[in-house]
Amino acid sequence: MNRGNRILIGCTYWAFVLYVFVPLLLMILMGFKDSKFIGFPIRSWTLDWYTGVFSDGEVLSTLGYSLVIAVLSTLISVAVGTWIAVLLEGRKFLGRTAIFGLTILPALIPGIISAIAFRIYARWLGVEPGMGAIIWSHAVHNVPFVALVVMARLSTLPKSQIEAARDLGADPIIAFLRITLPYLVPAILGASIFCLLLSFDDFVRSFFLGGYEPTLPVLIFAKLRSGMSPEINAIATVALVLTAGLGIWAERFTRRMKKETNT
Amino acid sequence: MRNDATASANRVAVARGKADRTFWGRLASWTPYRSLVRLATASPRRQFLILAAFPLLWVLTQHLGPMLQMLRVSLTDAYPVAVGVEQHFTLDNYTRFFGERIFWQPFFRTLTFAGVLTFCTLILTYPVAYFLARHVSRKNQMLMLLLLLIPFWVGEIVRTYAIMILLGNTGAVNQALKWLGWIDEPIPFMYTSFSMGIGIVYLTALYMLLPLYSALEKLPKSYHEAAADLGAGAWTRFRRVTLPLTLEGISSGCTLVFLISTGFYATPVLLGGPSTTVFSETIAGFFHTAGDEWPTGAAFATIMFLTAMVLTGVFQKLMQSLRKGDTK
Repeated sequence: MNRGNRILIGCTYWAFVLYVFVPLLLMILMGFKDSKFIGFPIRSWTLDWYTGVFSDGEVLSTLGYSLVIAVLSTLISVAVGTWIAVLLEGRKFLGRTAIFGLTILPALIPGIISAIAFRIYARWLGVEPGMGAIIWSHAVHNVPFVALVVMARLSTLPKSQIEAARDLGADPIIAFLRITLPYLVPAILGASIFCLLLSFDDFVRSFFLGGYEPTLPVLIFAKLRSGMSPEINAIATVALVLTAGLGIWAERFTRRMKKETNT
Repeated sequence: MRNDATASANRVAVARGKADRTFWGRLASWTPYRSLVRLATASPRRQFLILAAFPLLWVLTQHLGPMLQMLRVSLTDAYPVAVGVEQHFTLDNYTRFFGERIFWQPFFRTLTFAGVLTFCTLILTYPVAYFLARHVSRKNQMLMLLLLLIPFWVGEIVRTYAIMILLGNTGAVNQALKWLGWIDEPIPFMYTSFSMGIGIVYLTALYMLLPLYSALEKLPKSYHEAAADLGAGAWTRFRRVTLPLTLEGISSGCTLVFLISTGFYATPVLLGGPSTTVFSETIAGFFHTAGDEWPTGAAFATIMFLTAMVLTGVFQKLMQSLRKGDTK
């Protein structure tokens, strides 16, 4: 490839970086605008919208509500996903393909359809819309991601370690708890962070399965329907900083852990 | 290492006839635990059944169950069933779809949009993935990929809102164009298929980028050099070597992006207008009203799901045969 082409293709990367960053940066900037109306140019700046957000009880309780949902649904997803991964990885049995297919099914169903299906199922089970229903739908939706990540890690576990533990007298449960599980920790942590982000960011399931109390994305959506305001920018920026910060931290953390366990 | 050391220490302790005083040692010699383990692991068959029972139950009731229940509701004439009313099975909910234009038009619009946007995303992200995989050193690759990941950790709603600010009448793009003197009146980007397209591509680009990147990254550089040595120009090298060998990445990226694009609800509501109603809005409409419209909504969701599955299935088969044709 000649030099000109190489520069051209490099430019597409940086253009793409601009495309994904500029809208978010503009949104963050707008949160500091000293006027009720969204729009450029920004002539004067203020922090009032942020102080408003942090003294607004509704926003703060919504934030807490979203976090609780994210944590609880992640705990369920991780437990179930890991269990399924342990069953599927490295084992051949009748119906394995079918179980694998069913495991990844929730990840393939388009968002709105999955939300509708959960809503109907919750009604059938007699579960009222609200926190429990949201947690359940997020947990089910996130299981495939955990299962896939854990399976990938499990496939690299040397069989000899388990065999050695069994030879030394460990029963399968202790061998799992002391050899397999510690080996899976980086994958499980990585998957947990991913589930936390998916749940915290999820709109469509929270919207259709929620009761009167909104999660953070649902609250932003409701506020947007009644008009744009820098207040929404401030709320959205708080959500953005939380999610992006958690993502960056997780990326560094899991990378370091993988390095440590591999050496 | 540590595990090995404790294990051998345990063995020594056992050999000397001393009790293992660690937590695990005590657990292993605790009688109820031991009899439980003996019961559970009596035979490989029983061990497997205990391991498999819960996952099987979970995927059947939690993953498949909601879809089956949706299908069942879509075949009934009333749901939820009121007291004293008999529920009948019917196909009316499905025939209703074909009867009215306001139903099937958004459906075909959604499929067309999703198809076109998937293609646009592919064209947009392929050079980016190519650059990352081929022209950047290993160490920088991860950093530059991470840079792209950051915006994608941010939620659907927040990113949709960012697009609203970008494209509004007093948004950044219009103000910039005005400042440049290219326009006098703001261009009404918002509430059109254009703004919706920009928003959806913005949300899905990463799901295309990652499969493409991993396919391109796996491709050995030597293939390129061999093709170049044999006299192939840049375009021929791309068309005959790179493209055929990354079809798998293209196929999975396109499938993912297509499925995700058909399922968006909030983005079309916020960025689209009355002329761009997509099928997810139609489906959602049946669930905002009182309960008796649920069967129709369920039927429409089933139609959507089956169509999306069939289309992506056919697409994957097509890509597979393309791949096979190339290796012959």
